[in-house]
Amino acid sequence: MKADVGPTPPLPSGKAAPPARQSQKEATRQRVIAAARELFDTHGYEGTTIREIARHAGVAVGSVFTTFASKGEILSEVMAARLDPLYAEIDRVMPHVRGSTADRLRTMFAVHFEFEARHVRLFLSHIAAAYDWTLAPGVRPYGRNQRLREVIRETLRRGQAEGDVRPDADLDEVIDLLVSAYAWTYRLVVTSNADAKAMIAVMDRQIGLIADGFALRA
Amino acid sequence: MKHISPNSVAADSPARAPTRRALAKQQTRLKVLAAARRLFSEQGYEGATIRDIASAAGMSTGAVFANFTDKSDLFREIMIDDIEALIASMREAAERGRNVEDGLLKMFMAGYTFYKTRLQLARAAFSVSWDKDGGPTLRGLPNNVTMQDLFTESLANAVTRGELSQEAEVKLRSQMLFDTYLSNFPQAIFEGWSLDALQARARDQIRILLAGARRG
Repeated sequence: MKADVGPTPPLPSGKAAPPARQSQKEATRQRVIAAARELFDTHGYEGTTIREIARHAGVAVGSVFTTFASKGEILSEVMAARLDPLYAEIDRVMPHVRGSTADRLRTMFAVHFEFEARHVRLFLSHIAAAYDWTLAPGVRPYGRNQRLREVIRETLRRGQAEGDVRPDADLDEVIDLLVSAYAWTYRLVVTSNADAKAMIAVMDRQIGLIADGFALRA
Repeated sequence: MKHISPNSVAADSPARAPTRRALAKQQTRLKVLAAARRLFSEQGYEGATIRDIASAAGMSTGAVFANFTDKSDLFREIMIDDIEALIASMREAAERGRNVEDGLLKMFMAGYTFYKTRLQLARAAFSVSWDKDGGPTLRGLPNNVTMQDLFTESLANAVTRGELSQEAEVKLRSQMLFDTYLSNFPQAIFEGWSLDALQARARDQIRILLAGARRG
């Protein structure tokens, strides 16, 4: 895999670095991500700067910028690192969750709320970053969570197969409504310091209402 | 571009004509607000500083602080003016609706049309609204609450007319309609969706959200 094969093969960026430098770069990356997670969770998206992240991680501002293009990109990485294990677990469990499609969605979202409520300000940062216009399109975080969309789509498809979701339901519209209902429920944290239990109760009702729009009626 | 409410100048002394001094103060306020609006639109909330706003308005930072306590105060004033104007056009849109669905769609579109020329300001407002410090103030503005009430009124009227069932869960449903209205802004702001595209999407969303409230 070394570059001695020929003149500059089109390797993915970063792959050509020698092992020692590579692992040092990875160590910096991990330190930056850990520091950023703490700061976003304490100060929110607007309140956190790259300079502070660098100081907190004990690395130079310049070396943060050699790894990440922007604050939003760091946050995306923080969230990805958190969410990967969550979705691995959800993917494993969902096929065994029983009940109507609405109930299965309720369970799936309840798991999300329980998970995010532990670091809720981090999640609020994640949503706020969706309005950061300086970010490159690929980085913009919330609403582009394909894992969440896929879990919902899978659940709705299963509902179609089992007969409680209309075969002609517009799944993309339903998914969008559920994803935004989920995000906007976190508004309750901003306005009334709601905990996971309170948000789950509200989301349960919202899912019921959206389900009226996709349910197959007898 | 300007939605500056004239009430603050007259409110101090409704009976007498405003003094020259009060007029001058009002002039200063308007100048600062216009400059702030421009800078928030160009640089976002975070990027615009009081210093820049002052220099754009051609005055000292001291003069700005004599009129506004801080940046969030300035931003709030701008939001209040905008939302007031928007509420008026949403109310008018709701009245033109042929039925509940059409009325809601027209309300959504009144909002998207209003902000089509102020997308960066909308972006700044959303960004602040998710902040744990700035969020509660912005979301709690009396006229923001009024805007949500417009959705509630639309549904309640439809129940009265018999278009929607008595068990329509008006409160939850209008909250969700309002959230859905807001949640389409990222497409408008970042993906350049046209008003037609937004309308098609909003129509589908409204149909899904009303489905369970239909009579019969």
